[in-house]
This record gives sequence, C-alpha cells and structure tokens, in this order.
Amino acid sequence: MLRRSLLRALPALTALPALARTAGAAAPARSTLRFSWPANAGPLHPHLYAPNQMYAQAMLYEPLLRYVEGGQLAPALATAWRAEPDGRGHVFTLRPGVRFTDGAPFDAAAVVANIRALLARPERHDWLALVAQIEDAEALGPGTVRLRLRGPYPPALMELALIRPLRFASPAVLRPDGGISAPIGTGPWMLAETRPGQHDLFRRNPHYWGGPPALEQVLVRVAADSNTRALALEAGEIDLAYGTDQLDADTFRRFAADRRFTTAVSPPLATRLLAVNSARFPTDAPAVRHAIARGVDRAALVRHVLLDTEPAAGTLFPENFPHADLGLRAPDFDRAAAAALLEQAGWHLAPGERVRRRAGRALVLDLCFTGSDALQKSLAEAIQGDLARIGIGARLLGEDSATCLGRQKSGDFGLIFAETWGAPYDPHAFLAAMRQPAHADYQAQRGLPMKDEIDRRIGAALAGTDEAARAEEYRWLLTTLHEQAVYFPISFLTNKLVHRADLGTVPFGDTRYEIPFDRILPRG
Amino acid sequence: MRRLPLPLALGLVALLLGAALLAPWIAPHDPAATDLARRLLPPSAAHWLGTDHLGRDLLSRLLWGARASFGAVAAILALVLALGCAVGMLAGMLGGVVDAVLMRLCDAFMTVPTLVLALFMIGALGTGLGNVVVAIALSHWAWYARLVRGLTLSLRQRDHILAARVAGLSRLAILRRHVLPALAGQLAVLASLDLGHWMLHLAGLSFLGLGVAPPAPEWGIMINDARPFFRSAPMLVLLPGAAILLTVLAFNLLGDALRDRLDPALREHAH
Repeated sequence: MLRRSLLRALPALTALPALARTAGAAAPARSTLRFSWPANAGPLHPHLYAPNQMYAQAMLYEPLLRYVEGGQLAPALATAWRAEPDGRGHVFTLRPGVRFTDGAPFDAAAVVANIRALLARPERHDWLALVAQIEDAEALGPGTVRLRLRGPYPPALMELALIRPLRFASPAVLRPDGGISAPIGTGPWMLAETRPGQHDLFRRNPHYWGGPPALEQVLVRVAADSNTRALALEAGEIDLAYGTDQLDADTFRRFAADRRFTTAVSPPLATRLLAVNSARFPTDAPAVRHAIARGVDRAALVRHVLLDTEPAAGTLFPENFPHADLGLRAPDFDRAAAAALLEQAGWHLAPGERVRRRAGRALVLDLCFTGSDALQKSLAEAIQGDLARIGIGARLLGEDSATCLGRQKSGDFGLIFAETWGAPYDPHAFLAAMRQPAHADYQAQRGLPMKDEIDRRIGAALAGTDEAARAEEYRWLLTTLHEQAVYFPISFLTNKLVHRADLGTVPFGDTRYEIPFDRILPRG
Repeated sequence: MRRLPLPLALGLVALLLGAALLAPWIAPHDPAATDLARRLLPPSAAHWLGTDHLGRDLLSRLLWGARASFGAVAAILALVLALGCAVGMLAGMLGGVVDAVLMRLCDAFMTVPTLVLALFMIGALGTGLGNVVVAIALSHWAWYARLVRGLTLSLRQRDHILAARVAGLSRLAILRRHVLPALAGQLAVLASLDLGHWMLHLAGLSFLGLGVAPPAPEWGIMINDARPFFRSAPMLVLLPGAAILLTVLAFNLLGDALRDRLDPALREHAH
C-alpha cells in the first residue's frame, strides 16, 4: 500500500517545478496571456517588412497619430498637429514625458533620426507614396517637429498611422547600415525573449505613458496550422485566437456554440474579392463580366462556405471606410438574367454541351487560387459550380502562393482571389497601387477603355487639396470600377476572436493587424 | 500463419476495380456538381453516404476517386515495368560498361528516399496527376531494374538460353521469347506487393495538393479537403480513408497470395 502511494507520488514530484510555473503564471488575475501566431515575430525593425510581423511591430512601436474605426485620426505620440498654409508642411506637437524603453527621451531629435534613417533607403518603401513625398523632417524645438513634403499630399496624415514604416525606435539602436541593434520602442510592450520556431515573449512596459497594460506578459507560441491552434485552444494551451484566418469557419462556429468559450466578430476590415481580368479573353467582354457578377450566388457562398463569419460584400470597400459610402449596390443574384446577358452577347449553348460558344470559341476562363488555402479552394469550387450553371467553364488552377502572386503581377489569370489591404490603407493607398503594373488590380483593369482616365483621376484624388473635389474623384473612381465589374467582391474580412469565457474582456483593434493586448482586461 | 487464399484477394481487387471501371454508370450523381444548400447532409436515399462540404455526393466522389486512383496506379505500374525491364534486361544481357553505367544510375536513384525524390520531381515537373504518376514511377523503377538484371544474368547461363544463342537467335528474340516470360512470375509478385505502396504514395502526394486538379475527386485530396470538418462531419475523412485502407489491404493480400503461389523459394520450402 505504502509502496503504491509512493509510486503514485513519483511522477507528481517530477512535475512539481512545471506545476509551480503554471500556477505562478495563472494565479493573480491571469497575468500571462498565451496567444499563437504562424511565425516568429521577426527582428522587429519598425521601418521594415517581412519577416517582421505587423501585430508585434504594433506592440512595440507607436505612430504620431493613430487610426480609429470609421476613418478618423486620434492623438498618439503627437498630441496636436496642424498643416501649414501651403499644404506641404505639417507641424506636430509631441507628447511630453514619453520615454523609450531604454530610458532615452522621445523628442523631436528622435523623430528626425527615425525619419532620416527611413529616407536613407527610399527603395525599400517605393510602394508607399508618402515616403517619396517626404522632403525632410526638422526639429523646431525639443517637443515640436515639422515634416516637409515635396507637394501637397492630403493622405499623409493617414499614412502616418500605418504600422510600418513610420514608427519610431530609440535613436540609440538605429545603426548606420539601416538595421537596429535591439527592438526598443515607446509602446506598451517590450520583447523579452525569442525562441525560433517555439515562441516570443513580450513583457509589459511598466513606464508606458498610457499606463501599463493589465496583463504582465504575452507569450506568443508558433503554430502554423489552424487545426493545431484549435486543438491548443481547446486543451487550454493557448488562451486566445485572434485574426482573420486564425481558425477556419467551421471551427469558429463550433467554438461559438460552446458555452465554455466567448467568440466575437469585428466590423468589416477589408474585402475578400475576385479580380476579373478585363484584358484577357473571355472576361475582356463587359457582358461576360456582368454575367459573372449576376451569376455567382454570393449569399450562398457567405452562408455555406464562410458560415456567416463574414458579411457579404457588394462593393470594393466597406461603407465604413473614408469616401466609400456611395450607396453602390451589387446586382442581385439572378441566374436567368446572367444567362440572358450571355445570349444577347452571342454566347450560345449548343444542345448537349455544357459550355457556351461564340464563333467557335468556348467560354472558358482560368480561376486561380492558392492551392494550400482550404477556404479559397472551397470558394473556387463553389464558384466554378455556379459558373457552370450559366454555361461558363472555369478551369481551377490551385498553385503555391508564390506562383499565384506571380500570376497577379503578370496578369496571367481570368479570375483570381485577392484582398484589399484594409484601413488605413483603404481606399487611398489601395487605389494608388492600382497604377502599378505589378498589382492584380492594374492587370484586371488594363483592358478597360477608361484605364488612362482612372489612373489620372487616382492621381487627382490623392494630390488634390480641395476636399469636395477629392470626394468627387473618389465617387467617380469607385462608381466606374463598380459598373465595369472588374471585381467580384465576396465578403468583408473580419477579425474573429475566440477565448475561454473566464479570460476577461478582449476588445478589437481599430485596424486589421493590430491586436490590442494592452486593452485586454483579465477577470479577477 | 495461414494466408488468405488467392481467390478471396482476387475477388476483393476485382470488386474495387469494377467499381472504378463502372463509376460513370453506377455513380448516382455528378461528382463535381456542387449544391451549397445541401452541404454536409447525413446519409439518405438520395445520397447514400451523404454530401461533402460543398454539397457534392460522397458516394459518387468515392467511386470516381477510385477511378483516378486505380488509373494512376495502373499507369505507374506500366511505367515502372517498362523502365525496369528495359534497363534491367539491357544491363543483364549486354554486361560490361553498359551494365556498370546503368547500375550506378540505379544506385543513384536508390540512395534518395522515394518520397523526397518524388517531391523533387514534382517540383521540377509541376503539379498535376500526370506529373505525380511520372514522379512516383521514376522514383521506384530502380528496384525493378535491379531484380530484372539479376534474373537475366542467372538466366543467361541456363542451358536453353545458351542453346538458343548457338542456334543463332538474336539477343532481342532471346529476351522476348525466353527471358521475359521467365521474369513474369517474379515481377507479378513484386508489383502486386508494391501496388498498395504506390497507392499510399499517390494518396499522400495528392493529400498535399500536388495531384489531381480540383474539382476532380481523388481519395487523398478528399481527405485533405475534409480536414476542417473532421469534428463536425468525420465521415468525410473516414470514408475515403477506409477506401484507401481497403484497397491497399486488397493489393497486399493479393501480393502475399501470389507470392505463395509463384515464389520458387517458398515453393521449394513447401516440398
């Protein structure tokens, strides 16, 4: 009897240190939050891109102004700002008393040092018009900075809110070669530890100007696969899933029905869509594009493939985005009307055939998607089924993501899956990129008779100083793209979160890639 | 251990093969016809095994999937036998430098694990069922070439072959009339044991999304597609999995039974 109880105690003894650790982490109001992400956070350079993960950059580094839901700007590291009369200069009053986590003060000199480091390598940022627009930054006083632009550029303030590249690291860590020696910012979190392939650990910044976060630590485990994540969440190995595609729709719905878990869906953040190639047979014909717009059952895709985790999208941008509230509506799903459009345009279905023909040419197009993306694959197969019913043949090309991206850039597609970038990039930065040939949007629009005018008006919408005139340009642009049916919007991307009901309250961030760990309030 | 008799194994294979061959006629629905309103239905009179995540009939997809799998395995078999016999007989019959070069080539192919080699070839050739078949065949022919060469070498010394050579029969004619028939039994045993292995290989590569183009059904890709629904609709994963299991089992039983019948070493043992 004694021996048996001793035997039983043995494994418990060896497990003691582990136990102590978990108990310590979970005891006072759950001070550590365990999250998961497909990859490590990266070197966390505030001005650079992949492999830096945006959620982590946003934890460490802060902007001068921040974007709030609905398209407004709010003070962050700058408490006040004004434009100079010529529209080329912006003066910012910096928040007093802010320090980087290495103790260095956040002042005008720090802002200038960061912006000059950015301007030293402009080729890294050619996708963002603002970087090319910035002439220089100068310190007007210890707490005042002036940003000089080459010309008037009204979206400048919006682009200052982006997660990258216009955020600020301590001047002490900026290296002359463009790298950083350590990830030191002003944000609510500090990077405490990184283990490649395992996890990243963030500790709260006790001196954060906005008050330290309620959580003490955020542990981010590396989990590449959504099934792994779902199992970890269920087993209590992670506390939170948060993101657009962190869990697949069926799993999300299962958690939503489970009373042990709390789930929530954010307002629209970006758009999931198909780009329709107007420069390639057969979608070069407006009738075919309009038939696609009417012949694919968007409501069924949203209900049965996305399982209502995202709202249906009738327009390129959600109406809660700036300049996008234009009252545009997608044409109603109507298979007979779609077929009639094709008949009128001379596409006829011979008896016994499944695909329409005109002058001997079959109505067949390539529908391209990322083969490893289960959701895109399901959507593609369902859309193929819808198109088959109106006599359009769709060849499904499921390829690796690099090949898919290559097709977006070269225009070698009939229909291809794409996403808009979300606030605060949408709509202006997304429209700006439509002028670049290396984007699916440019390729999709290339065959439109008014493509030159579209590009010219995008320029006017971005650079104009008269707010009413700019709004009018946006109206014309978004209406034209809508009427030409070069996009088939499917749904508005949302962030979905799942956590155990006893975790506390988890709010949504204002943009797609920000996770507001600092505003999570653990229960207790 | 007593093995299952040959007729039983043959019967199982014939049943599966029949399902594959007759799929276009016996499948109750179009395997690619989606109907989102009827997704994830349980078994019913209209859909005997229910429907998948896009409302497609599962039974029809399984039957058509058998067609894809069997067709691909038959193509792999033909390619492996053609390549293995050609190289093996050439090396065995000619000997010398030809033999040395061909066997070193075999060694090269045999050093790399077959899955890695197949993945590498798909990387070079591109995805698609045809390329997967070629990749699997190219990563498996070397064993057959080795076997054929060994058998050819030993046959070459037999009296009846020597007699045929003395009688002035050409090398090609000797290979065709005397060597190839003698190899058939051995190759049948080896191939039937490998068929199941190739089937798994195929399903594995197809599971990774490298095989058939959607929406064509194939068992491996059906399992992968159904993965997100494993908790809510486990049958979508289990049924294609069971189909693969049953087929591989049938082929292995057939292989064992054939070996008992044909393998000379075992036969001598029995005497």
